[in-house]
Amino acid sequence: MTATHHEQDAHQYPAHFEPPHGSTWNTFFGPGLVRGAWMTGAGFLIGMLLVLALRWWWGWEPLWNTEVILVVGAMVLAPIGFLAGIGSFDYWLHYISGRPTQPEDHSGHGAKTWKDYFRVNTDHKVIGIQYLVTTFTFFTIAGLMAMFFRAELAQPGLQFVDSQTFNGLVSVHATLMIFLFIIPAFAGLANFAVPLMLGAPDMAFPRLNALSFWLLPIAGLMFISSFLAPGGAFGAGWTGYAPLAEGQPLGQTFFNMGVQWAGASSIMTALNFLVTIITMRAPGMTFWRMPLLVWANFTTSLLVVLATPFIAGSQFFVMFDRVMHTSFFVPEGGGYVLGYQHIFWFYSHPAVYIMMLPGFGIVSEVISSMSRKPIFGYRLMALSLLGILVLGFSVWAHHMFVAGMADWLRVPMMITTLLIAIPTGIKIFSWIATLWRGRIHLTTPMLFALGFVTMFVIGGLSGIYLGSVPIDIAASDTYFIVAHIHYVLFGGSVFTIYAGVYYWFPKMTGRMYSETLGKWHFWLTFLSFNATFFPMHYVGLRGMPRRVFDYDEAFGNMNLFISIASFVLGASFVLFVYNMITSWQRGPVAEANPWRARTLEWQVSSPPPIFNFDEIPQVVGGPYEYGVPGARHAILTPTKDAQKEAEEVHA
Amino acid sequence: MRKGIVQLVAIGVVIGVAVALVAVLFQWLPESASEEFDRIQDIYWLATWMSVVIFAIVAAVVVYSVWKWRVPPDDDAEGPPIHGHTGLEIAWTAVPAILVIALGIVSAVVLSKNGDTKDDALQVRAIGQQFAWKFEYPELGEFSTGELVLPVDQQAHFTMEAVDVIHSFWVPNLGQKMDAVPGIETTINVTPNRTGDFAVVCTELCGLGHATMRARARVVTQAEFDEWIEEQQT
Repeated sequence: MTATHHEQDAHQYPAHFEPPHGSTWNTFFGPGLVRGAWMTGAGFLIGMLLVLALRWWWGWEPLWNTEVILVVGAMVLAPIGFLAGIGSFDYWLHYISGRPTQPEDHSGHGAKTWKDYFRVNTDHKVIGIQYLVTTFTFFTIAGLMAMFFRAELAQPGLQFVDSQTFNGLVSVHATLMIFLFIIPAFAGLANFAVPLMLGAPDMAFPRLNALSFWLLPIAGLMFISSFLAPGGAFGAGWTGYAPLAEGQPLGQTFFNMGVQWAGASSIMTALNFLVTIITMRAPGMTFWRMPLLVWANFTTSLLVVLATPFIAGSQFFVMFDRVMHTSFFVPEGGGYVLGYQHIFWFYSHPAVYIMMLPGFGIVSEVISSMSRKPIFGYRLMALSLLGILVLGFSVWAHHMFVAGMADWLRVPMMITTLLIAIPTGIKIFSWIATLWRGRIHLTTPMLFALGFVTMFVIGGLSGIYLGSVPIDIAASDTYFIVAHIHYVLFGGSVFTIYAGVYYWFPKMTGRMYSETLGKWHFWLTFLSFNATFFPMHYVGLRGMPRRVFDYDEAFGNMNLFISIASFVLGASFVLFVYNMITSWQRGPVAEANPWRARTLEWQVSSPPPIFNFDEIPQVVGGPYEYGVPGARHAILTPTKDAQKEAEEVHA
Repeated sequence: MRKGIVQLVAIGVVIGVAVALVAVLFQWLPESASEEFDRIQDIYWLATWMSVVIFAIVAAVVVYSVWKWRVPPDDDAEGPPIHGHTGLEIAWTAVPAILVIALGIVSAVVLSKNGDTKDDALQVRAIGQQFAWKFEYPELGEFSTGELVLPVDQQAHFTMEAVDVIHSFWVPNLGQKMDAVPGIETTINVTPNRTGDFAVVCTELCGLGHATMRARARVVTQAEFDEWIEEQQT
C-alpha cells in the first residue's frame, strides 16, 4: 500500500513544479546564481566568525589569523555556501529533512536558452557542454599566462615581472592546465558521449554529476585568485614540493585547497562513470562490445578513484604543516621530506594516464570511423588500457631518480617504466594498422588524431630516454622535461581533446563546424607546436634548467625563437574559438550521423533527444564493424520526430 | 602490393635519414668532461637510434596510408574488414619488449658503474642554501669555498646536504645530478676526465633566486689542485 501512496504523492505535483512564492522571493531564495552569491558571502562570514569565536574561547593570540580564516571561511565554507546556493543540494536536503522532494519534472534536463547552462542541470549532455566551455575558458587563461612568461623568457634576465610573479605564473599555468583543462575536458567529452554510447538515458547519478561540475569553477577561481593574496600566487610549481611549499607566502594555501575541490570533482565523476558503465549498458552491450572510448573512461575512472586521494592527502599534510604547525615534512620536527614526493607522485604519475587514456579512447573512435575500418586488434586495445592501468601504479618513483631516494628502488622503477612502452606501443601500432588499406577521410578530427599519433610517439620516445636512469640523471629538471611533458600533454592530450571536440561538435550542437578553418587550425597548431617545444629538448640537454626566469646567454637566440613560435601557437587557438562560436551560432545544420559512424550516439538525432533514446536500443554486435556485410552494432528505432524537431528549431 | 611495400620502405628511409640528420648535425649534448657522462652518452645514442627507427616506421605508415588511401569526402565505400592479425600483434608486443629490456639492462649496468665508489675517491661535501652552493673538502682541511675545484682523472665522491629547501646539484658537462635534501644526505660520483671551466647549476626550484643559484666548477690538473688546496688551507 505504501508504494501506491508514494506514486500518488508523486503525481500530485504539476509537471513544472513552482514553489508557492512570488518571483522576487524566488530570485533570492530559489536555487540560482543570486542565492549562490549571497550564500557564498554567508558561508565566508560563518567561517570567519567560527574561527574568531574559537580563537577567542581558547585565548589564542593574535585573534585575527588571516591564513586560518581564509582556509575555513573562503576555501571551505564559502564554496559550500555557493554550492548550496545554486541548488546542488536541494533535492538531497529535502529528502533528508522529510519534506516532499520535487518529483523529477525534467526541468533539470535539456537546455533551451544559453541561460540554462548557468543553472544546476542534471542532463549529462548539458553538463558535458558546461564542462567543455568552462575548461576551455581556463585553457585560455592558462595559455595567456604561458604567453606572458614566454615573453619574459624571450631574453635572459628579468624584463616584465619579478621572480615571485614568474614562479607564480609558471605554477598557476601548469595547475590550471592539468586540473582545470585536460582532466575535466576529458570528463566533459566523456560526460556527453559515454551515456549515449552505452545506450543509457543519462549517467547513473545525474545530481552527483551536476555537483561534480560545479566544484570545478570553485577550484579554478581559487587557483587564479591566489595572485591577489599578499605575497603573490603559489610559486613552488604545480608539484608544490615540500619544504619549499611550506615556506611560501599565503598563495600556497590556495593551491593546497584548490586541489581538494578539483580532486573531489574528479573522484565523484569517476565513481559516476564506473557505476554508469557497469550498470547502465543497454541490453546486449557486453564489455567486449563497448566502444573503446567507454573502455578508456572505465580504466581512467579506476585510476582516478584509486589515485586521487593521495594528492589530496599530500596537500592536506602540507597545509597542516603550514597552518597547524604539524611536521609531516619538516625535518627539524622529525618529518620526512621525500615522503611528500612519494605520496605526490603516487597520484601524479597515474594522473599522467588519467590525462592520456581518455584521449586514447577518442583517437580510437576517430581513426576507426574516418578510416572506415574496424579498429585493429580491438581486444588487445582494451587489454592494453588495463595493462597501463596496472603498470601505471608501479612507476611513480621514476620522477625521483635524482631525488635522493633509496638507491635500490631505481632499477625496478626503471624496468616498470620501460615496460609501459609495450602496451603504449601496441596502441600506436594498432592505430596505424587501422589506417592500413582504409578509406581515409582527412577531416579535422582525423588530422588531429593523426597529429596525435605522430607527436605522441615523440613524447613516448623521449619518455624512453627519461626512463633510463642514467640519462634521466643528466636530463631531469631541465627543459628536456618541459619538452617531454608538452609532447605528451599537448601533442598527446590536447590534440585528442581537439579531435574529440571537432568529432562530436555536430552531435552536441546540431550544427557543423567549418572544415576549412578547422584545417587551418590544425596545421598552424601542428607546426607552431613543434617549433615551440622541439627546441626545448635541445636547450634542456645543453644545460638550461626548468622553472627559471633567467638563463645562460648562450640560450638567448633559441629562447627568442621558442617564444615567437609560442605566440603563433597562441594565435592558432583564436581560429579554433572563432570557428566554434560562429559555427555554433549559424553553422550548417548537421545530419544525425555525418561521419557514418556505428556507435550508438550517432544513431540518434543531432543534438540527441532529451532522454537520448526513444526506445532502449538492443546491442547485437561490435561497435566498429565497418566493411562487414550486414553487420550491425545495435537495433533501434530512429528518432524521426526528434530529428524533425531539431531541424525546425534551427530553421 | 610489392610496389606498395617498396614505396613504404622508401618513405621510411627518407624520414629515417632526415631524423637521423637532425640527431647528428646538431650538437644536442654538451661536451662530456667526465667518465660517467661518457657512459651516459653511450646509452643516449643507443636510445636515439632506437627512437629514429621507431619514429620512422610510425611516420612512414601514417604518411603512406594517407597518401595512398585518402578518399574524397563524398566517398561512401568502406575499407576491408580486417579485425586484427595475431602474428603482427605478437610481433609488436615482443619486439618493443626486447628493445626496452635491452635498454634497461644497459642502463642498469651504467648506473651501477657510475655508482661504484673507489676507496681513494676525493670526498667533497656540497651544501645547498638559498641561493648559493658551498663546497667543503673534509679530508683536506677545515675550509669551504663557493667555487668547486676538482682534480682531473680522480674520482670525486659528493655528499650533498641542504640547509633550507631542496636544491639540485648539476654540472651539465659532467652529466651527474643529485638533489640536496634537508634532513638526509645524498651522494653521487663524478670522475672528471678533461680540464676546463664549467657551470654548476641548481635544477630544483628553490625559491625566488633559483635561476641565479649558480657557481663555477674548475677541473684542473692534480698539481694545480694541490696548490689550490694549500692556498685554501692557509
